[in-house]
Amino acid sequence: MSVVTVVRRAVLWVPDWPAVAAMTEAGLGADAPAAVLHGRGLVAVSAAARAAGVRRGSTRRLAQRVCPEIAILPYDEGRDSRLFEAVAAAAEQAVSGVEISRPGLMIVPADGASRFHGSEEALAEALVSAVAEHAGVECAVGAADGLLAAVLAARSSELVPSGASRDYLAPAPVGSLALAAMERVQREEVERLTSVLTRLGIATLGDLAALPFGDVLARFGPVGVWAHRLASGEDLAPPVLRRSEEDIAVEHVFEDPAERIEQLVHVAKEAATALDRALLDAGVRCGRVRITARTEKGQELERVWRTDVGTRAGAFARHMTDRVRWQLEGWLSGTAGVADGGKGPEPSPLVSLGLVAEDVVPLGAEQSYLWGGVSGADSRAHRALERVQGLLGLEGVLAVAEQGGRSPRDRALMAPWGQEAPPARAIAHPWPGRIPDPPPATVPPVARPALVLDAGGSPVTISRRLAISAPPTWVRLEADASDERARAANRHPSEGHVGRLVGPVWDRPRPVESWAGPWPVSERWWSEDASRRAYVQVALRDGEDAVTAVLLAYGGGEWALEAVYD
Amino acid sequence: METAEARLARAREALAGVQRRVGTTRDRWEAPTLPLAPVLDQVLPQGLRRGQVVSVVGSTSLMLALASAASEAGSWTAAVGMPALGVVAAARRGLDLARVALMPHPGAQAAAVAGACVDGMDVVLMGPRLALSEADRRRLASRARERGSVIVAEGPWTGAHVSLTAVGSRWHGLGAGDGRLRGHELVVRVEERRGGLARMVTLPIEADAPLRRGTPVLAPVRSLGGAA
Repeated sequence: MSVVTVVRRAVLWVPDWPAVAAMTEAGLGADAPAAVLHGRGLVAVSAAARAAGVRRGSTRRLAQRVCPEIAILPYDEGRDSRLFEAVAAAAEQAVSGVEISRPGLMIVPADGASRFHGSEEALAEALVSAVAEHAGVECAVGAADGLLAAVLAARSSELVPSGASRDYLAPAPVGSLALAAMERVQREEVERLTSVLTRLGIATLGDLAALPFGDVLARFGPVGVWAHRLASGEDLAPPVLRRSEEDIAVEHVFEDPAERIEQLVHVAKEAATALDRALLDAGVRCGRVRITARTEKGQELERVWRTDVGTRAGAFARHMTDRVRWQLEGWLSGTAGVADGGKGPEPSPLVSLGLVAEDVVPLGAEQSYLWGGVSGADSRAHRALERVQGLLGLEGVLAVAEQGGRSPRDRALMAPWGQEAPPARAIAHPWPGRIPDPPPATVPPVARPALVLDAGGSPVTISRRLAISAPPTWVRLEADASDERARAANRHPSEGHVGRLVGPVWDRPRPVESWAGPWPVSERWWSEDASRRAYVQVALRDGEDAVTAVLLAYGGGEWALEAVYD
Repeated sequence: METAEARLARAREALAGVQRRVGTTRDRWEAPTLPLAPVLDQVLPQGLRRGQVVSVVGSTSLMLALASAASEAGSWTAAVGMPALGVVAAARRGLDLARVALMPHPGAQAAAVAGACVDGMDVVLMGPRLALSEADRRRLASRARERGSVIVAEGPWTGAHVSLTAVGSRWHGLGAGDGRLRGHELVVRVEERRGGLARMVTLPIEADAPLRRGTPVLAPVRSLGGAA
C-alpha cells in the first residue's frame, strides 16, 4: 500500500553538522579536531577528531585522552539551525526550493531540478559546489526514491536509479532507520524499536519490509508503521518546501557615530516609521521586533522586543519609537542588560541601527490566544503599563517570572516590561539545598545586615563544619530609617547628639522563639561569584502573640537578613 | 406642563443615579466583585468589591492572598513601590505572573504612576513608602471607584473601606534547630468603614500545617468595643 506517491528526492547532507557549526562559530578551521558535548556524551565529532579515534557518544575524558588537543564545544540547537540557514541559502542558488528536515540535512525534490540542470549528476555537482562556494561547507548529495533511501544515498554520495530503492534498502541494517528520524523524541522511539527488532532477529530493512503490514501495526503501533513504510522505500509525506522571503528590516547607518541620545531620538522615530511602512506595504504585522546596533568598536548589540500593537492603527510607529529610544539609551549609557543579571556592554558610540520584524503574519490572520482574543482588559492594562513606562523609563516597570535557584532572591527573574528575557536557570532542575516552601512574601532586593546573639549576648557563629557556636537567642534587625529613638539608642554617648551614624541602626533585640538550620548552600565554587552560606529560619517573638519568621544567612562571618515571612 | 411631583420624581431619580455612580449609597447587589480566595471568606464576607480601598498593615502575604484569586481569573495586578515583593510567594499564592507588573521605585512620580495603574489594572498593590499626599490618596480612591479597580495599600489609609491589621501571628514547624516553617496562622483585625464593630479573624494563611489540618477556621473571636 502506498499512501503518498513516492517522490524522487535529492538529499544534501553535511557530515557532523553540529561540530561544523560549533567550529564555525568558534572560529576554528575545518581540519581542527573538535567535538560537541551535550550532557555526558559527545553528540558530534569533527573529521580530524574522528581520525584521531574520538567516537560519538564517548565521554569528554575519553576523548581528551585519545586526542589531547581536541576542542570541546558546547551544544546549542539554536546555533545549529541558525547557521544552517546559510547552507540552505547557498543551496537555493542551485535549486529553487528546499526542505530543511533537521539542521545538517536538506531535501530537494529531484525531478524538476535535475531536468533543469540536465541530469542528476549535474544537479549534485551544482549543489555541492554552490554550498562549498557560498557557505564554505563540505557536503554530500545523494538521490533516490523515498526518504530513507535518499538519506542513505546521500551518506555514500550515490544516485540510486528510479524504482530500485527497495532493493537498495534491503541489505541496510535496521539501525539506519534512526537516520530518517528528524526529532529527538522520534529518534528515541525509533532506537527503542530497532533494539527490539534486532533482538527478534530482524536485522536488515529487507527483513522488516518482508513482514506483513498488519502484523507490524498490531505489534509495534504507529512507530512500526512508520518504520515499515520507510523500509519498503515508501514516503510518509511529500516534501514541504520553504519559500525564501526577504526579511522586513530597516537599516540606518549614522553619518557620525552617535554618542548622545539627543542625536538618536529623531533616528529612532524615523526607523520605527519606516519599519511600520514596510510592514504595511507587505500587508503583514509582526509579533516581535529585533533591535540591533553596531558600536564603533565593532560590537554587535541586539535585543528582541515583544509588540502586540500591530493592529492598532498608527500606534505601532509610536510604540516602537519609544522602545528603540529606550534601548539605544540603555546601550549608550551602558545600563542595558544589567537588570537581567548580565553585564551590560561597554558604552560606546553607535554607528548603525537596524530593526528586523519577526514572527511575521499576514494582516488579519493573527493568532488569537487560546481562550479568545486580546480582551479589553488586557489592552487597557498594556496601555497603562506603556504609559507608566513612559513616565519612569525602561527599567521603571518590571515583568516578573519564576526561575530556578536556591535562595528566594535567586528564584525571581525580573526584566523590563516588554523585553524578552529568557530565564537564566531552569526551574525543572533539582536545586538541592533550596530553601523549602512556603516562599517568603518579602525579599529585600539586597540582603540587609543582622545580628544574631546567643544567651550571653555574644555573636553566634557557624563553623565550616556547620557547628553552630550556641543556639541563637536574640536577633537584632535593622531599624526603620525614620525611627529616631532607635537612632538615638545606637549613638554612643561619647559621640554627643549630633553627627551621622556610621553603620546600620539596630532595632531592639528580639527573643528567638524557635529556629531551624543551619542549611548549607555552597554555590558556584568554581567561579568568581562563589558563595558559601548557611541559612537559618528563625521565628522571632514580637509581642504577646505576634511572631515574625525570618530567613537569615550566615556567610563570611556576617549575618544577613535574606527574607521575611510576613 | 409637568407637575411638581413628576419633576421631583425625576430629580430624585437623577440624584439616585449619581449616588449609585459615586458610591455614596451602594446596594450589595449592585457592586460587582472580584473573585476572592476561599481562605479569606471570613475576612471579607461580602467579597472583594470593585472600587474598594483595602488597607493592610503588617502582612504582605495577606496582600498577595487578596489579589490571588482575581489574578488567577484573569485580572491584572500592579505592585507600586514594593521593591521587596516576593515573586515566588506571589506565584505560589496563585497570582499569574504573566499579568503582574512591578514598579519598584516610582519616586516622585508616585501619584501619576499609581493613577495610571488604577486606570488600567484591576488590582493595585501599593507599598508603604509612596510619596502620596492625603489629597492624592483621596483622588486615587475616587478614581478606583470610578474605574472599578481595587487598591490594596500597605500601611494605614484614611478612608479605606476595609482595614486589615495583622495583630498576631503564629508559625508551626520550627523547633530548636530542627524542622522548618510550615503553617502560618494570622490573627487579623478587620475594621470596616461602615461596619460597626471591629472583628478578629484567625486565618490559616499558610495551610501546610499537618497538626492543624481539619480544624475549622475560627469564627470571629470577640468584638472590640467601638467602631473603627
